[in-house]
Amino acid sequence: MSIFNRAQIIDDNFTKFVTNENFPKERTILSISNNVFKPAELISLFETQVLSRHIDLKSRSLKDAGRCYYTIGSSGHEGNSVFGKIFSHTDLAFLHYRSSSFFIERSKQVYGTTPIYDLGLSFVASSDDPISGGRHKVIGSKILNIPPQTSTIASHLPKAVGAAFSIDRAKNLQILEKQLSSSSIVICSFGDASANHASALTAINTAGWINDWGGHVPLVFICEDNGLGISVATNKNWIESAFSNRPGIRYIKTDGLNLIDLLNQTRKAEKICRINRSPVFLHMKTVRLLGHAGSDIELGYRPLSIIEETEFNDPLLHSSRILLEKKIVSKEEIIDLYEHMRKRVAAIFNLVVSRPKLNTVKDVMNSITYNKFKRNLPRIPKPSERRLTFGKEYNRIEENNHMAKLLNYALFDILLRYKNTLVFGEDVAEKGGVYHITADLYKKFGARRVFNSPLDETSIIGFGLGLGHNGFLPIPEIQFLAYVHNAEDQIRGEAATLPFFSKGQYTNPMVLRIPGLAYQKGFGGHFHNDNSLTVFRDIPGIILAVPSNGRDAVRMLRTSVREAYINGRFVIFIEPIALYTTKDLNKPGDNKWAFKYPEVDFEAELGEFCVYGSGEKLTIISYGNGLYLSIQAKTEIEKKINKKIKIIDLCWLSDIDIPKLMKAISPCKKVLIVDECRKTGCHGEGLLAQLSAIDNNQINFRLHAAEDSFIPLGEASKITLPSKDSIIEQAVSLVNE
Amino acid sequence: MNKKRVVVVCPGRGSYTAETSGYIKIKNKLIKNRIDFIDQKRRELKEPTAIELDRTHFKKTLHMKGEHASILIYSCSLSDFLLINNNTFEIVAVTGNSMGWYSALSFSGALDESNSFEVVQTMGSMMKEKIIGGQIIYPIVDDSWVIDKNRKKIAIESVKKVGAYISIYYGGYLVIGGEQEVLNVLLKSLPPINQYPYQLPYHGAFHTPLLNKISIKAKKIFSKKIIQKPKISLIDGTGRIWSPWSTDRKDLWQYTFDDQVLKPYNFSALINVALKEFCPDHLILLGPGNSLGSAIGQIMIQKNWNGVNNKESFLKKQNDSPYLISMSLNDQQRLITK
Repeated sequence: MSIFNRAQIIDDNFTKFVTNENFPKERTILSISNNVFKPAELISLFETQVLSRHIDLKSRSLKDAGRCYYTIGSSGHEGNSVFGKIFSHTDLAFLHYRSSSFFIERSKQVYGTTPIYDLGLSFVASSDDPISGGRHKVIGSKILNIPPQTSTIASHLPKAVGAAFSIDRAKNLQILEKQLSSSSIVICSFGDASANHASALTAINTAGWINDWGGHVPLVFICEDNGLGISVATNKNWIESAFSNRPGIRYIKTDGLNLIDLLNQTRKAEKICRINRSPVFLHMKTVRLLGHAGSDIELGYRPLSIIEETEFNDPLLHSSRILLEKKIVSKEEIIDLYEHMRKRVAAIFNLVVSRPKLNTVKDVMNSITYNKFKRNLPRIPKPSERRLTFGKEYNRIEENNHMAKLLNYALFDILLRYKNTLVFGEDVAEKGGVYHITADLYKKFGARRVFNSPLDETSIIGFGLGLGHNGFLPIPEIQFLAYVHNAEDQIRGEAATLPFFSKGQYTNPMVLRIPGLAYQKGFGGHFHNDNSLTVFRDIPGIILAVPSNGRDAVRMLRTSVREAYINGRFVIFIEPIALYTTKDLNKPGDNKWAFKYPEVDFEAELGEFCVYGSGEKLTIISYGNGLYLSIQAKTEIEKKINKKIKIIDLCWLSDIDIPKLMKAISPCKKVLIVDECRKTGCHGEGLLAQLSAIDNNQINFRLHAAEDSFIPLGEASKITLPSKDSIIEQAVSLVNE
Repeated sequence: MNKKRVVVVCPGRGSYTAETSGYIKIKNKLIKNRIDFIDQKRRELKEPTAIELDRTHFKKTLHMKGEHASILIYSCSLSDFLLINNNTFEIVAVTGNSMGWYSALSFSGALDESNSFEVVQTMGSMMKEKIIGGQIIYPIVDDSWVIDKNRKKIAIESVKKVGAYISIYYGGYLVIGGEQEVLNVLLKSLPPINQYPYQLPYHGAFHTPLLNKISIKAKKIFSKKIIQKPKISLIDGTGRIWSPWSTDRKDLWQYTFDDQVLKPYNFSALINVALKEFCPDHLILLGPGNSLGSAIGQIMIQKNWNGVNNKESFLKKQNDSPYLISMSLNDQQRLITK
């Protein structure tokens, strides 16, 4: 037999070692009195472990035959079957990818489920797969409360914190939309290598931070420590050293090769977490068998003697030893069970390979924004309720105001109408946000609905994702656009992919408010003036809103909340800081950029753009600050070309109806796209490409965008950006071309 | 040669009808011994034997009474079960519908010969004096055996409204249990579809809380020790798998005489589990009769199993190369017997 075929060796060794009763010695000494579990429960766990192993072995052989994909396995981690048993299926579980045993064992709590078949469908990427519909090999299930994860970079941990926090908060606020029972907790599992990821560290930090403040985060972090991150070894005591003394987090260690110790320590962790409503770090020491994935040849980086030593510590051999020592089964019964499960798994996998696959673009894409569980909108508050909420401000909402004030009013109405909304972020509570958009919300709606977060954007967004799992509609604020970049993966890798990988069974309802963009000279340089939205341009499924004035901002914010509430959409709402307090358009005191607060039921349509003017010579397309500057430039351009022009405010940089936009442009043959963001990768660039593609060279398009530069401080802050003058120049030049 | 994997399905009450008279065929010595044992026990109880009943002209008032129907059905199923060719077929799981659960317990080895008789006889005779409530059956599929969401919604809402219970999720049908006066309301209020809603004669409100006294009585009569670990995996009326290794005998006893008696019997779920978690080459439906076959077909259609997506495709597949082998059909029985 080839020494490279470790799957075959491990498989053969199991039978041989059990037959010869050649077992690894126990690593953890236990007192018998600690064992309060029935023999049948231990065998049931062992059955699960064996099933999980055979799934790995079978998937390897199918992979060799080209009928199975992504053979990252669970071998060595079969101890997590105990987690599947101890934690209730009502406890939301964000799982590590080596969690087949967990999945199978948890399925036993919900009769009638078909875990092996469902895992099989996922392994062979069949469109019948009930969780991802053939989009990924993910471990997940709506009925088992396991949102599907890829979990490769621990990016699921921040949302686990939010989900855990949501449980008691939903109870306290009596949230009607809540999904999790008040006594439930949350678990999340990850490997020892993933524990080094920033997202893991920030989640653990935030959980401890909240607990230290007296908040409730009933969350068990489960670190499944196999000592390896692909080929890189984790120092022997690294996880314990790094996490056993974290403030606000209880540390418990368990032997992942010993079912009894696992049962005892997991029960302890579960009780502490559930009763105290506080985070626990459960550290499971285990081994990794069969390499990192099917394609990984361990012999390339580990000596054979070490590999063999690890393989001898097979959790299945340890479990067999325990079952024999306790005289629960005979070795013949173990072999019989092992072979029986092999045949069962083989029968299932041999069948699932023939189940249908995704075949068309439409099939693949139809879950990107799909939401299986739509809600009905809450009623619009009565005038009397609004008057009470707004207080003395109610008499002023008829006055023309700038965007900052109008957005603040909008948030008052939204928090009043949608009882499940929460506002959080850096400085948003007592201070009311750096730009006072959230001013007085804290006073009116209280600290349970409006609260400050630690200064960490990954936590803020992840927290919101987790809250969304329990019926909340989070409206977090990222203080400045540039800060979102260190949290990008929470949007790209987690929020945007969840409906895709769950066929819309899980969504991330959220309105993420981000003050941003340039044209400020008084504050910051590139960090506070960041003018790039490119990071949001290629993420399927997210909504991107960029209003240019207060009236539209209010209507669009309401629409954003509606989309999140009903359709589970993830909305990024960019607020141009430079326009927050802008009231004037052409000259000081003209008050032409100040607007009346729109009627409470007046919303924008998603993707709807606003058209200013009806000229036929030139159309300017823009958004945000660029739109404001274009409007400023309009009269002068018209004077210079002696024709009327048209300006289109895109308002939404996603969900653009291109054919409709083309109609709106018609009959103009000259189109100037003004984009305040950096020209490489800006949305204007994409729009130019899309419009050109359907135009048949009838229209002359031109993009006027910011230079590929960072923004300097002070007077130089606008040098690299489109200005009123440059827009006039570009417009005239285009018309005369 | 690899044996073919099969899951055996045991029918429940109502499967013995005029058409199945004379079903029990003593084809070998083993069957004879087992049926003789049953008949001896019946004689001791001064009840007509299974063979006597089977050979007597069918009368509803005789054959459909619980104390006779149960033992008769069990005997028919047993004789079929013992005909399965173990040399070419491996029975990977056993399951059943409603009282077929007791047969399944027996055939899986969870009940020995004597206790099998006691359980079937006793549970079948629990309402000898007076039947508690009743059952009606109502379709939730269209003529093609595809689920009609509207029919299903109306039926479930009606059940809730009048205070009845879902007794069995039975493929394309709901079996509804309840007090007779409640069922009378449903018999009038449910939109008529062909002969449905139809009340099942001599059936109690099985698998509903109305049988609480029966459950208590059964738990007094039967010791926990009567249940053994099954030798073949069992799939119960919730879709739970009881394996030969990890079954806790007390838990199985508790399920059998408590939850199984008082809670809905989800035949649809258990067939789904049988199909997906065991992926058998065939399902084998024991006799008497074949009425459960249509329910199984309807479940296969719901799961788009084996390329079946409506009644027509199911019947065609059954005709060409049957996946569901019904022991009551001679042509099919021949495929799997010794």
